[in-house]
Amino acid sequence: MITITRDPIDLCNIMVAAKDRSAGGAVLFIGSVRDHNEKGVVSEIHYEAYKEMAEEKMAEIEKEVKERWRIKKFIAIHRIGNLKVGEPSVAVIVSAEHRQEAFEACKYGIDQIKTRVPIWKKEVSESGVTWVKGVSLKK
Amino acid sequence: MGKEELDLLSVKVKLFAYTRELIGKDEIRLKLAGQTTVGDLRKMILEMYPALSTKTFVIAVNHKVADDSTKISDVDEVAILPPVSGG
Repeated sequence: MITITRDPIDLCNIMVAAKDRSAGGAVLFIGSVRDHNEKGVVSEIHYEAYKEMAEEKMAEIEKEVKERWRIKKFIAIHRIGNLKVGEPSVAVIVSAEHRQEAFEACKYGIDQIKTRVPIWKKEVSESGVTWVKGVSLKK
Repeated sequence: MGKEELDLLSVKVKLFAYTRELIGKDEIRLKLAGQTTVGDLRKMILEMYPALSTKTFVIAVNHKVADDSTKISDVDEVAILPPVSGG
C-alpha cells in the first residue's frame, strides 16, 4: 500500500496495518526532518510532489519489492507540505516471515523512493531557503 | 486560418520545485507546431525562460521521463522535473 499525504504520518497505524499472522517480523524505516544541514540550523522543510507520477512510481517500487522478496505487507507513506523538525516525512514498513527479507525489502523500498519518486524538498535554515540538491530522474 | 495555425498544438506543461518558482506558475500552456518533440519543447522553454538554462531538469510525458526524440501531442501531460530529493 502506498500513500502520499499532507496529513501527519501515524506510525502506530502503519505498524498495525503491517501485522500479519504469518509474518515473523517487520522492519520499519522512518525518515524525519533533521535540525541541521551543512550550513547550520534547519527549522522546517517544505515537501512538494508531482502527486500522480509519484504515486505511480511508488506503486512500481512496491510491485518490484513483492517480485524480489517473499514478504507479507509493504506500506510506504510520504508526507508533503510544511514539516517541522522531528516530524516524520517518510515511512516504509515491511513484514515478512523472516527478518532478512524484511530488512532487505525495506532498504530497497526507501532507497528507490529517494531516487525515483518526483518529490522535492526545500529547507528553511539560518542561511536562507534552499532547494535540496537531488538526483536526476532516469528513464 | 492557414494550415500551420491549424496544426498548432496547445500543450500543458506542469512545473515543480525551482522551475515553478523561477517561472512563477504551476503550469504553462505552449503553442507548438505539429510533430513537436521533447527536444523542441526544451529549446522553446529555454528561449522563453533563459533563467532555466543553468538549471538541471528532465522532461516527463504522461508521467514517464522522456528523451528528446519523444513526440508530443496535445493530449499528453508534460512536466518539467528538477532532480528529486524526497525522503
